Amino acid sequence: MLKYISRRLSYTIFILILISLVVFLIFALLPADPAALTCGKTCNPQVIEANRHRLGLDVSVWQQWWRFIVGLFQGRTYGEAEALIKCPAPAFGYSFNRHECVTKIIADAFPITLSLAIGAFIMWLSIGISLGVLAARFKGKFVDRASTVFVLIGTSLPTFISGILILLFVVIKFGLVNPLDLGNWANPFTDPLGWLKTFFFPCLTLAFAYAASYTRFTRSNILETSTEDYIRTARAKGLSEKVVLRKHTLRAALAPIVTIAGLDFAGLLGGAIITEGIYNLAGLGRLSIRAVLVDYDLPIILATTLFAATFVVVMNLIVDILYAFIDPRVRVG
Amino acid sequence: MSATTKSVRKLIASTSAIALVAAVLTVGSATTANAAPTTGGTLYMLTHADQWEHPDPQRLYVGRDIAFFNTYVYRNLVSYKPATGPNGATLIGDLATNTGVPSNNAKTWKFTLRAGITWEDGSAITCEDVKYGISRTYAQDVLTDGPTYAISMLDVPTLDDGSSAYKGPYKKTGQALFDKAITCSGNTVTFKLSRTVADFNYAMTYPAFSPIKKLKDTGDKYDLRPFASGPYKIDKNVIGDEMHLIRNTNWKKASDPIRTPYPDDIVVQFGLAEELRDQLILSDQVPNAVNLDALLPTNNKTFFADATKADQRMNVNDPYVRYYAMNLSATHMDCLEVRKAFFFALNTQALIDLAGGSVFYGAPGDSIMKPNLGPDYAPTTGNIHESFWSINGNPTKAKEFLDAAKTKCPAAYTRATSTGITMDLPNTATNQKGSVLIEDAMKAAGIVIKFNFIPSGVYYATVKDVTKQNDISSVGWGPDWANASTVIPELFIKGGGGNYTQTWNDPAYAAFKVKSDKASAETNRAKQIKMWQELGQTIMDNYWIGRPVFTKTQLVWGSKVAGVGFWDPQGTFLFPALYVKN
Repeated sequence: MLKYISRRLSYTIFILILISLVVFLIFALLPADPAALTCGKTCNPQVIEANRHRLGLDVSVWQQWWRFIVGLFQGRTYGEAEALIKCPAPAFGYSFNRHECVTKIIADAFPITLSLAIGAFIMWLSIGISLGVLAARFKGKFVDRASTVFVLIGTSLPTFISGILILLFVVIKFGLVNPLDLGNWANPFTDPLGWLKTFFFPCLTLAFAYAASYTRFTRSNILETSTEDYIRTARAKGLSEKVVLRKHTLRAALAPIVTIAGLDFAGLLGGAIITEGIYNLAGLGRLSIRAVLVDYDLPIILATTLFAATFVVVMNLIVDILYAFIDPRVRVG
Repeated sequence: MSATTKSVRKLIASTSAIALVAAVLTVGSATTANAAPTTGGTLYMLTHADQWEHPDPQRLYVGRDIAFFNTYVYRNLVSYKPATGPNGATLIGDLATNTGVPSNNAKTWKFTLRAGITWEDGSAITCEDVKYGISRTYAQDVLTDGPTYAISMLDVPTLDDGSSAYKGPYKKTGQALFDKAITCSGNTVTFKLSRTVADFNYAMTYPAFSPIKKLKDTGDKYDLRPFASGPYKIDKNVIGDEMHLIRNTNWKKASDPIRTPYPDDIVVQFGLAEELRDQLILSDQVPNAVNLDALLPTNNKTFFADATKADQRMNVNDPYVRYYAMNLSATHMDCLEVRKAFFFALNTQALIDLAGGSVFYGAPGDSIMKPNLGPDYAPTTGNIHESFWSINGNPTKAKEFLDAAKTKCPAAYTRATSTGITMDLPNTATNQKGSVLIEDAMKAAGIVIKFNFIPSGVYYATVKDVTKQNDISSVGWGPDWANASTVIPELFIKGGGGNYTQTWNDPAYAAFKVKSDKASAETNRAKQIKMWQELGQTIMDNYWIGRPVFTKTQLVWGSKVAGVGFWDPQGTFLFPALYVKN
């Protein structure tokens, strides 16, 4: 088992290095010149070249990438003389739009995205699985039909619509949250009520779409599992329907759901772009989208891309390891 | 400078200009009915943007932001009078006791600092602070985006590559050269200029010429927290969240003839989703707030149609002209007939309607300058005044010009009708829709057009790159102050801050440049006005630009905000007069 984990860990590190290289090359090949972008409106070729030097872009792409990797361990400096800027390790670069080391920017944004993701994750699992179980348990009855309606609405309403609707017609209309408090960060451990005030509705918005698909998924998994021979055997042994569901059906039906939930959660850690935008949350999603669409802030784009990729790769690793524990055949493979 | 959110324009007026400005500027109310202003309360400002363009004075070049920071956080040697209408363009000594004393044919300017002016830590603002602040403009590799008037006007030598021999206070290369251009004698600061600049004192209204306390300079990071000399100081500034201003207790009213702080504190709410921002204003949920942005078009119409909001809105001409810049270099739009064909084929009405209609967006213009500029603008002949020009486009006439191009410039004709003309546009939803309207109009005239959508954040940097600009680029501009010296040389002379036409490739350029240089150096204002007007006509006669539109802007605010007016020179709220009703 240890051998398997170390092998998977080595793969993961290799993949992360590869991703960083690919992302780096993609940005190097973009037609936009970062040195010109930071040059401003009153630009001239001398300033562009000076900027190129200051940004460390006056060397080959390979050298730039290597400096980036080294910077992750040793930190980096930008500029010179009295205008020297230092970014301690792990240095993901410096944002000249936000006048801050990218690591610090990410560190400030990540707790917001993390708490949004965790809140939404708990909500969608609770709602989705419960409703899915009920729908399967009462197949064809009112609860099942009601869940179908919920699933239809949830999956067909894009987040940017449901988010705006919840915000304008629930939160703002009924004055549930002072609109100027939207986006205010509160530490959930020291100020749980403050956190709830800011994050409840964003979490709900995000959970809405996910819960719908999890309801559907749970329902169909349970129904499919219910037709298995061992379930029939359990019933034949005289076990009550509740016990069959809880002890046999659910255990088997939920295993794939947990796997998917893990990956969905990892995806969200890269940033919930729309929800963060609607609710004025300064998380990784809004940071990324602004960096792409408004500021064209390459160090931030690079870092957030790497972050998002890392979450997915690491979560994959965790899932793989968990599977290896559950199913010994995986280890052999 | 470019007229987007990243632009600024300054309009001031000479005495004769003032009357004209007064006559033409205001479309709606330029000021609300005022009772006696009251002190106290919190004034909120709402915006979708994540941050101000640049709080650092030497990097600030956006009219609205200049007006905000000059009102609340820092002071210049000279500022505009806080008044609506033409009076708002009057210069007043701010940190200086006067508006500058020129000598040596306006190549030398002297300003004397007031007594009792202080920083937020209580220390005195000195001549050396002024000098240090201006020196930062030369650190072009560290402090980007600001206006470069100091570099172009001060008598500091340039190198062979055209850059200044002085590299700013961080590297200190060429420091002695800079020290000769600005000298301090007690409280008097003297500027030696490389050429006659009769309106140098207007440049002083820019924060780029404001003082900086050297010990507080943090280079690039100064943008996060500039040190205050005005009535408020920055308590908090978090990008994407908010900026909170509180009273600067070391600011003294006795030393400031311009500002009277009314609100106790000011909160700028960044990063609001556009729909949320609009709903807060529409429903008056934050009655003590002003909206720093434009409302979304549909919400704008709703707000302006609501009779109950009559005293919470304003619709005025802004300082900008939006236009299509023709790339005049070879293999682009180097054929006059093709440029004319494009000009007359356009369906201007459809594009204006798309952008908000003539009530909210603006009207077709006949020059690169607009009436707000004052006497340097004069109605031109030709272009939209031609009998065959139609606001809906005239494909028949456009085809005639194309036919003429067939013999006069066959290569350009082939490009226009076969391989296609490529147009640069910022990648916005409105432009995506507008491209369809342009394509339809061109198709009717037999012109093949393609579009290159560029992310808004990099748009101007891209189209200003002569190697990356395509045939036509959608841009905008407004004057820095009421003199075409901040328009024509900037836009049409090589090296200008916003030359998007690559004019130097056009046969008419050499004569144009000679005349422009002469106009810039002319100290007789009447003669200068005539030259600018003639140059304005030349631009239109050569169709270096297409579809100029004289645009408008709308300002809206909450029911508890009072003292609202339009500050003409800054093209935005008259911030010094804003207060919160008790």
